[in-house]
Amino acid sequence: MGRPFELVIVGGGTAGWMCAAACAAKLVPAGVRVRLVESEEIGTVGVGEATLPQMKDFNDFLGLDEVEFMKATQASFKLGIEFVNWGRDGQRYIHPFGTYGRPVGEADFFSYWIRARRAGVAARLDDYCFPIVTAWQNRFMLPNGDPNDVRNAFAYAYHLDAFLYARYLRGWSETRGIERVEGRIVEVERDGESGAIAAVKLASGERVAGDFFIDCSGFRSLLLGSMLGVELEDWSHWLPCDSAQAVPCARSQDFTPYTRSTRRKAGWQWRIPLQHRTGNGYVYSSAHVSDDEAAATLLANLDGEALAEPRVLRFKAGKRRLAWSHNCIGMGLAGGFLEPLESTSIYLVQMAIMHMLTLLPSGEGIDPALPAEFNRVMDVEYDRIRDFLILHYIANEADAPLWEHVTAVDLPDTLKGKIERFRHRGHVQAYRDGLFGPPSWQAVFVGQGIEPLAADRLADVLPGDLLAQRLEALAATITRGAGSAPSHADFVARYCPAPAL
Amino acid sequence: MSGPIERVAVYGGGIAAPMAALAVARAYGRLGTQVTWVDTGEAPPPYAALVALPDLAAFHRLLGIGDAALIEAASATLNMGQQFVGWSGGDAAFLHAYGDAGTPFASLPLVQHWTRARQAGLRVALEDFCLAAAAAKQGRIGELRDPATRQAVKHGWHLDATSYAALLRAACERAGVTIVQGNGAQPHAASGKLDRIVLADGAAVTADLFVDADGALTGLLDPGGAAEGDGFCDRIIRGSAAGLDPLPLYSRVTAHEAGWVTLIPLGDRLAVEIVYDSRRMPDDAARAVMEQVAGRRMEAGAAEALSATVRSRPWVANCIPIGRAAGDAPLLDGAELLLLQLAVAQLVLLWPIDRYTMPESDIYNEELSGSHARVRDFAAQHFRLNGRDGEPFWDAARAAPISAELASKIDLFAARGMFAHFNYEAHVEDGWALCMTGHGVLPRSFDPQALLVDDQALMAEFQRQLRAIAAEVRGMETHAEALTRIRSGAT
Repeated sequence: MGRPFELVIVGGGTAGWMCAAACAAKLVPAGVRVRLVESEEIGTVGVGEATLPQMKDFNDFLGLDEVEFMKATQASFKLGIEFVNWGRDGQRYIHPFGTYGRPVGEADFFSYWIRARRAGVAARLDDYCFPIVTAWQNRFMLPNGDPNDVRNAFAYAYHLDAFLYARYLRGWSETRGIERVEGRIVEVERDGESGAIAAVKLASGERVAGDFFIDCSGFRSLLLGSMLGVELEDWSHWLPCDSAQAVPCARSQDFTPYTRSTRRKAGWQWRIPLQHRTGNGYVYSSAHVSDDEAAATLLANLDGEALAEPRVLRFKAGKRRLAWSHNCIGMGLAGGFLEPLESTSIYLVQMAIMHMLTLLPSGEGIDPALPAEFNRVMDVEYDRIRDFLILHYIANEADAPLWEHVTAVDLPDTLKGKIERFRHRGHVQAYRDGLFGPPSWQAVFVGQGIEPLAADRLADVLPGDLLAQRLEALAATITRGAGSAPSHADFVARYCPAPAL
Repeated sequence: MSGPIERVAVYGGGIAAPMAALAVARAYGRLGTQVTWVDTGEAPPPYAALVALPDLAAFHRLLGIGDAALIEAASATLNMGQQFVGWSGGDAAFLHAYGDAGTPFASLPLVQHWTRARQAGLRVALEDFCLAAAAAKQGRIGELRDPATRQAVKHGWHLDATSYAALLRAACERAGVTIVQGNGAQPHAASGKLDRIVLADGAAVTADLFVDADGALTGLLDPGGAAEGDGFCDRIIRGSAAGLDPLPLYSRVTAHEAGWVTLIPLGDRLAVEIVYDSRRMPDDAARAVMEQVAGRRMEAGAAEALSATVRSRPWVANCIPIGRAAGDAPLLDGAELLLLQLAVAQLVLLWPIDRYTMPESDIYNEELSGSHARVRDFAAQHFRLNGRDGEPFWDAARAAPISAELASKIDLFAARGMFAHFNYEAHVEDGWALCMTGHGVLPRSFDPQALLVDDQALMAEFQRQLRAIAAEVRGMETHAEALTRIRSGAT
């Protein structure tokens, strides 16, 4: 090979710097030149402050030190998401990062739970899940490493300040060979013949050319959307929320090891506890509530003093028809947007990065099988998350216009029939790839009031009194285990105390 | 109205009917479900042998079929893979072993490093980095503790079809299955569902659920539901020759000008079958090819027709087809038993809650159609990738249409040595890698992260893996030793 392959990342938000960091770890040492163009004039969105457990894999993949990373990003731990008023007002459940129960007999645990529930001898599903019971007591511990212990049957994620995460990764990446180019992009140059992106030109007149471009420019989708004309596949008929207002408030005593999502009249409100403050936001449908009213609702529902004015964001649910077109991949908001109801934004960036690393072309010309595969797997990721989000919306009482609207829409084919199958026998299809696994579907179905009418008949083989005994013993073990964990606040204060900002 | 399934009728013969009856009786007999097998008397074809993949071993535990009994009663031998000979023309051969295509290195599948090294002139085949393949070719087998290769060695079985059917039948009797003589039985449907099967003596078998291993029940409910797929070959002759010594640990599939010959080593004989296109090869010529490939005298049965039907909606109303009744299986890669096992497993998993409404059928049909499609893809790769240029049968096979999923798989592997995964995959990606590289596909590029390893370190790792494989194979037992040990009940 002659000159090195040149990769240019456009945009330096969370997506841009995550991508840069991965390149620093895996491509720069393999001889690829990587530059990141960003402008300090342009702000980043940075709402994705709650994450999924896969983020730990990403940090491990980079080789980040967990304690250092958590201190640098004011991070706290997350065992799941609490959904309040979903299904109907007054209800609450946690979608945990873990499974329910443990093996009871030859059928799966959930089938036994259904049977016991129908017989009136089961506690609520949450009581058989260690991370949920622990979370509700505001306690936290790391998995204890013993495969036979309920205190190992979970994973955890983080709440973090995405802006600080980007800044942390920037420092990390710049010492590992990523060249940062400061400047506002004023023009994108395309190759006349192939249509590929040739270079971006900055306000300073500087021209940054490359073989391959990663578009991390946010909602503007500067390269993929604006320049290459890849349209957004509009999903707003299923997910009509198109606005959000975000506001931080002072940290409260209630330092939860979980994100909270509270259903509201025209959307839902998030609450994300960080070490230095609590992040809040109201995601809503502008057709169903005014901005002013949304702001008032948000500010009236904080558990600490507001630290800023609410900031308004506009978006549309959907994904770019192609995540990779020509010599350009769109990541993060440049590639698509799904509301943060299940904290999937950073996960989607992470998946795009991991697939990009393995599918990146190596020289001149792009083998069409590479973008075909990238686009196929990203479509799977987006479609699966979309369906799971829609499930949250449709499994609800239609008690306000937005909720009437969403429960009346025609579902994607991939979601049709799933509710009936679950109700009939607790059936959930296990996917080969992508989010979310059966325990997640079980959590949302049951949590929002859709309970199976019958269980797998294999669960009938175990004598009823034995089943009741085993379930009771399991719940007791979990309660005991949860009680042995320190409080989340103490754990964080000892493990990864962040400096005051 | 609702109520559990109380009575089940399994209709058919061969392997499929007793396997389904046994699985259902063992799973649900404990809950009082009564299983009646209406035995149509259809026996496996004379001389037939079966290739069972490693997954069948786990399934046998659920069925209560012991390994020692297979060796004693079904002439079983151990199966570590299937060898393809002459599919690229000439005598070139590769082994689709049921194992790992090398040990992952530096967080990447070995095939990525291998591709890079091949482009730089390495001549070692990917198969040589597969412990199971190396062991099988040297007639050795055995599970090692903490192997330096970190590779697993799994095995399936080669089975004599007739005696395996008898074994399943005996197990059915022990499991409380009622077996009735079903020669000349007549199924009856009423208002879109099966009602009863009337036996030759006039007695009627009624049931809440009918499992169809024959095809007649499904055909009665859904006469237009079977479409004819592309099977390339339309005829098969099965035969038998004197057994091989030493016993190979794999079956061999040798291409000929208009099809292929499969040799399956059994404990007491060598099963031989030729599959061919009768428009291009007369029966007599096929017999000659069969004997020539087997390299020994043999006896053989009559030529039989092959079909390749596909059912997109197998489970209709209260009738669940399994095995051939749900659609024909390809005759390669152990597909027949694999698809039967998948169908029976789904039947047990999706056992209807309510005998009056069975929405489980939609799930079963999705699962089974998906599995059939992916298994057909695995077989179809051998035809699409064949290298017998200039032979009309093989040129046509290469040009035949393939599914979009298989096209994606081949394109991506050829481009980057990676795998496009879909739902319902039945074969692991290392199996695909061994087959595709065996057919001569060398990926055009590799994961750029492979360049994080320098040339010297990579060569050292290759040598380490090859040495570890050689050492581990030396520590294994022979096929005969393994059979004796298993037969004695030792583990």
